[in-house]
Amino acid sequence: MAYAYLFKYIIIGDTGVGKSCLLLQFTDKRFQPVHDLTIGVEFGARMITIDGKQIKLQIWDTAGQESFRSITRSYYRGAAGALLVYDITRRDTFNHLTTWLEDARQHSNSNMVIMLIGNKSDLESRREVKKEEGEAFAREHGLIFMETSAKTASNVEEAFINTAKEIYEKIQEGVFDINNEANGIKIGPQHPTTNSTLSGNQGGQQAGGGCC
Amino acid sequence: MSDSEAPAAPEVSTEDGSPAETPDRSSPTTPDNSTDVAPTRKARRRPEIQPVAEVEEKPKVEEQPAEAPTPSQSTVSQGGWGYWGSWGKTILSTATATVATVGQGLTQVIEKAETSLGFPSPTELSARVEEEQKEQAESSSETDRVPGDGSAAVESAFGMLSSLTSVVQSTGKTMITGGLDALEFIGKKTMDVIAEGDPGFKKTKGLMNRNSTLSQVLREAKEREEQQTAETESSDSEKKTVAHYGMLFDEFQGLSHLEALEILSRESESKVKSVLTTLSGDERVQLREDLELIKESFSLVEFDDEEVDEKKDEDGSEFERELTESLEGLSVTATAEKLSKACRSTCSQITDMTKPEQEEEGSEEGVKKTLSVEEVHAAAIRSLAELTARSIELFHKLAEMILFSNSSTEASALSQLTVVLCKEISLLSKKFTSCLTTAGSNEKGDVLNPLITGVFLEASNSASYIQDAFQLLRPIVEISHIQRSAESTEQ
Repeated sequence: MAYAYLFKYIIIGDTGVGKSCLLLQFTDKRFQPVHDLTIGVEFGARMITIDGKQIKLQIWDTAGQESFRSITRSYYRGAAGALLVYDITRRDTFNHLTTWLEDARQHSNSNMVIMLIGNKSDLESRREVKKEEGEAFAREHGLIFMETSAKTASNVEEAFINTAKEIYEKIQEGVFDINNEANGIKIGPQHPTTNSTLSGNQGGQQAGGGCC
Repeated sequence: MSDSEAPAAPEVSTEDGSPAETPDRSSPTTPDNSTDVAPTRKARRRPEIQPVAEVEEKPKVEEQPAEAPTPSQSTVSQGGWGYWGSWGKTILSTATATVATVGQGLTQVIEKAETSLGFPSPTELSARVEEEQKEQAESSSETDRVPGDGSAAVESAFGMLSSLTSVVQSTGKTMITGGLDALEFIGKKTMDVIAEGDPGFKKTKGLMNRNSTLSQVLREAKEREEQQTAETESSDSEKKTVAHYGMLFDEFQGLSHLEALEILSRESESKVKSVLTTLSGDERVQLREDLELIKESFSLVEFDDEEVDEKKDEDGSEFERELTESLEGLSVTATAEKLSKACRSTCSQITDMTKPEQEEEGSEEGVKKTLSVEEVHAAAIRSLAELTARSIELFHKLAEMILFSNSSTEASALSQLTVVLCKEISLLSKKFTSCLTTAGSNEKGDVLNPLITGVFLEASNSASYIQDAFQLLRPIVEISHIQRSAESTEQ
């Protein structure tokens, strides 16, 4: 239950690329072929472990529809990670990436880790965007890249977890100021910030690791 | 040296209900502090002398034999509670009624709350003051003129915050961080009482940090609970059915929706402000008038808890009807459906709890159908957390739809919705506590009473959260109004 860090994620990208399905696969390990249109934003959360530390991912799954854009932009701020998703079977969703990226960079903090995701990799026969194109775009813009399938769960775990690893590394390097919540990172409750009266609290880090 | 001590004395002398002139007359003799004391006295709105009589009557009620569980006698002992907010009033009077039949633990808690809120018995109070004055005289060198320390001294003489805190700690862990919100169950006017003991809220600010947002408050509460769970889990492995409101609220994504709603509210608020600065002349006057009207309809929320009839709405269909009615034309059906579903399942849960006897006779297997008080309590807290989270979600979705569609949304409809939601919370908490009373008819008072208090406290918390979320919608309605009127003038 207790976690060392909480990371806020946003999932962005065109409507119908499978953002909500990726989230559902990650949090509930199931696939729902027909999904209601997301209104505004929906949420999911899951605990993962990195470097022996419990990390809670709080995921904001935004609506992809253009008409919701002005609302969803408000939610970008304070995210530590973003999954930017396109559909490998629809070229237009790939073409819109630049707009999404500009939007994300403009409305969030500059250190936000962005993972580019080419979703629906199970539909190889209908592929319109080559994997190399995705890789090239990611390289050009300094993103991490992965192709996933929310349907078969291929690479879904990895996409979420690798993003978290990158954020975690940035924390270790001191790039992120973890005390500034605008960075989308919160320190978990077991860190002895307020907890001082309890008996065995020598070495907060050790105690934190031990109780999990 | 007497600086820190002196303001306490006039403060307290009014506490026993004696006329307010006493401190006025005494103040000239202590000219040094009169400036400190005067402003707080203005803020005070004391109740009549009734409360004192109320406290003294209490023990008699307590002594009555603990039988015949009739927890719904919510009219007992209401005489003295007029001072409290209507919500807190009924909660506490209901609680008192319950206690009269089952034990005394809760009465003590409530009495403690009473005393801390300014209804102590005169004798007790004077004794306490003497004691504390002595203590302070001894340690006066430390508490000398530093403003912070001064107010601390006042506070301890008043015994207010500390005992309120302990009441709160012993019942609901979330309450203490709830701060102002937590106090709303007692009625907003309680703030006056605190203001007396703590001029300028120097001391109180730490406890009731109004700068922190509602979601922060809840998050902190949840984190504390998580920490406690982690600690208890490591110490004893046996699994108890402990219900943590804050954690459950987060589990149902209540915190996230609240956070998102706060973001939208804040952004709309600053947009409204910037529009106001760009306008001038008549336009500005007109807009100010419009905003004032919107503000008014947001301040009108009031619901009379006493109207809530426990017998009504067995299966939640009444609530569903009211909910649908108040949401008409607001296009958030999917979210409302989630809320209705949660409510229906809670209602059927309660129905199952209230008639376990017959089922047991039917199946002699002894499947142990009857739930323990802890289980009933856990179910109640879980339901309250879920319904509150779903209500907040509904408000969040409403906010998004208002901004998205820019359709005209009447604030009165939203306020009606708030009333419906709060009533439902109140109704369910009453049903759950009567389940608790039934389930715990063999339990001792000190087991049962904290659980009952817990349900009532979380219910009042829930209502506060819902009302706060409703308030977050105001800037959103405002900016939507501005945009619509801008569009209509363009055409």
